[in-house]
Amino acid sequence: MATRLDSRAAFERLRDDARQRWDAMWNGDRMVVSVGIDSSSQAKGARQVLAACQRALQGTNAIVREVSGNGAMWMEPFVEIRRPGEPPVVYGWITPEDVPDLLAGRLQERAVGVRGAEPFGDIQPLDEHPFFKHQLRIVLDNVGIIEPGSIEDAIARGAYSSLAKVLFDMTPEEAIAEVTAANLRGRGGAGFPAGIKWESGRKARARPKFVAVNSHEGEPNVYKDRRIHEGDPHKILEGMLISSIVCGAERAYNYIGGEYPLAIQRFRKAVADAERLGLIGENILGSGKSVEVRVLTGGGAYICGEGSALMYSIMGVRGQPRTKPPRSVEEGLWKRPTILNNTETLSNVPAIIDRGGEWFSQIGTSKSAGTKLMTIQGPLKHVGLVEVRMGTTLRTLIEEVWGGMRDGHEFRGIQTGGVSAGALSEQYLDYSVDFDSLTEVGGMLGSGGFVVFDQHVCPVDFARYLTAFNRVESCSKCVPCRLGNPALVEIVDRIRLGGGAIEDLSLIERTSKHVIELSLCGLGQVAPMPLLGMMKMYPESFREHIEQHICEAGVCQLGEPATIAIAAD
Amino acid sequence: MEEATPRLGGPEARIAQENESHTLVQSEIDLDVVREMLSHFHYRDYQQAQELILSALQEINEHFGWVSFDAAELVAEHFGTTATRVYALLTFYADFRTEPRGKHFMLLCHGMACYVMGSQRLVQNLEDVWGISDGGTTSDGELTVQVVNGCLGVCDRAPICKLDADYLGDLTVERLNDAIRNAIARGGSWRDAHHPVAAGSNHGD
Repeated sequence: MATRLDSRAAFERLRDDARQRWDAMWNGDRMVVSVGIDSSSQAKGARQVLAACQRALQGTNAIVREVSGNGAMWMEPFVEIRRPGEPPVVYGWITPEDVPDLLAGRLQERAVGVRGAEPFGDIQPLDEHPFFKHQLRIVLDNVGIIEPGSIEDAIARGAYSSLAKVLFDMTPEEAIAEVTAANLRGRGGAGFPAGIKWESGRKARARPKFVAVNSHEGEPNVYKDRRIHEGDPHKILEGMLISSIVCGAERAYNYIGGEYPLAIQRFRKAVADAERLGLIGENILGSGKSVEVRVLTGGGAYICGEGSALMYSIMGVRGQPRTKPPRSVEEGLWKRPTILNNTETLSNVPAIIDRGGEWFSQIGTSKSAGTKLMTIQGPLKHVGLVEVRMGTTLRTLIEEVWGGMRDGHEFRGIQTGGVSAGALSEQYLDYSVDFDSLTEVGGMLGSGGFVVFDQHVCPVDFARYLTAFNRVESCSKCVPCRLGNPALVEIVDRIRLGGGAIEDLSLIERTSKHVIELSLCGLGQVAPMPLLGMMKMYPESFREHIEQHICEAGVCQLGEPATIAIAAD
Repeated sequence: MEEATPRLGGPEARIAQENESHTLVQSEIDLDVVREMLSHFHYRDYQQAQELILSALQEINEHFGWVSFDAAELVAEHFGTTATRVYALLTFYADFRTEPRGKHFMLLCHGMACYVMGSQRLVQNLEDVWGISDGGTTSDGELTVQVVNGCLGVCDRAPICKLDADYLGDLTVERLNDAIRNAIARGGSWRDAHHPVAAGSNHGD
């Protein structure tokens, strides 16, 4: 691999070479076999499938590649095969034993689609499949296609070209203007405009300045950022570098949840490769600009997704939030201005710089531009990660993209906004997924992790689960959250086990009011929301438990003694 | 999360238990290995030293399955801080253990996807059949379970767990119990299947 690049021209030569090799691979006379490996397919034996492919093709001139999963978890492990003169075809549900038949062309019935615009024989393009049809991949455009371990693959597909543009063709003000024009809003849940944040970061006078990336993802239902790390780590890295350069930050941190070994491993490899090429460090591509990148891992505390807690965690202490102001952009890491962005937000930046803010702002809705990564869980046919335009309705997502309910499961509701908002029932499915619409009816976009539940789930028990999560994950710094959440669990337990009184419902509301209004941080302030949302959406279930001692779903152990919740677990 | 819930039997019993596990430990963590691991964590200033403490603890916890008091003292010494401070981290972050793991180690996913597919029954079953809750070890030392509040990310096979190196999906109470019994009967331990996080280039300079 090439040595350190000292100029834009050197980078462009490397890029042209990489592109040539990329095109030669897809148009040449060698077979190309790509196996999708990420944390979800690994659990289903994808590594063994890769090994079987390598064994079977040993001694031939075939190219065997380790790509990452493409979001379609329902068809994992998948193998993509490109034979000379034919387009690449994706085959799903492959076991190591299938590999000889697969390579010999005897498993055509497992073909899911062609990666390309035209059908191949009976096999339709992958993009015609309902799971892919509604997607627009900006952040995920390389995921499942490039080898995440190969910086050359990434560069051939455009990585670091936007970085070069920011270094040589644009002033920082121009770059920020593009992000502002794009109307790029924070993808971590709050939806704060990234352009405004960058502007304040740029104007901050204190030195040094830092950029921090929130890749923590401690919610019980989200794995989108993990998949970007596993599939296209260079996208995140390029976003970090661009953000650092336009804000004038000397150092960028990526804080990744410690539970995601493959994400950490692949991101670290990306950093090492980029460092070797001179895309990170001193005097990047001879521009005179320098950025240092550090990768840090968390320890499995949900609270570290909160901005100030995340910074304390980076600084090696307990991740407990502090009161604001000052905001982190004034006083963050090591008391210096710190620009904090979500992984997905930064991953949109290279495309915005490349194609312009105007282009980006036309995608999605007028107030929520662009796309959103969405994960779905629950008894649906096509469970996985998708990237859809903002403004797609819940009904389209559930019934088409995710394939509808599995047999024997009946839709009852969808929990939105992770553990920070309420569930929605069938009548709200025509609301669209963007930053503002769902909030009107008590839902929330949050970080895009939605969970569908069926008739086997009891709303009271689910509310208990969500409240108990917030209780266990409370950092215990402020009293309303530390004592309020256990109190709420205790009241719901009373109802759930048949010992509740009708007054308990108003007691929940009063207690929640205290937690919401008095908690220190944003996570405490929304902790009672899922419970309140469940009560609003399914009042009859709560009443049945209290008045008739019935649990329709048959989940709650009515009559069992309720234990008293203990403040700190 | 900060203060441990007093166990049944009052404070005396708790101290006795801790002493017991404390003596059990000393032999288990080879402090020379800890020293060797720490020697890869270079830092050029106070700030960087603080930033690396959590990563070092992750690595030790990953390798041995827990972090002993003696190991914590070495970490404190290496990064120029106090063992109290290191213990504050070990007891705050859910991934760390201050007691050894049993022979087999299970991560039982209790994320929302697993919940809606019935993982509550599995958590309950662990208490009913195996007598352990989150973080607990069976009295014969065969199995330690950590209930994952986050998400293992294999949601199409929910409810799911990771037992030693193997992921087991579409779990029912029976399948879970069979898997545990098989693992115990097979012998071996979580260490056999251990693939540590590849040490990266980002341990400093």
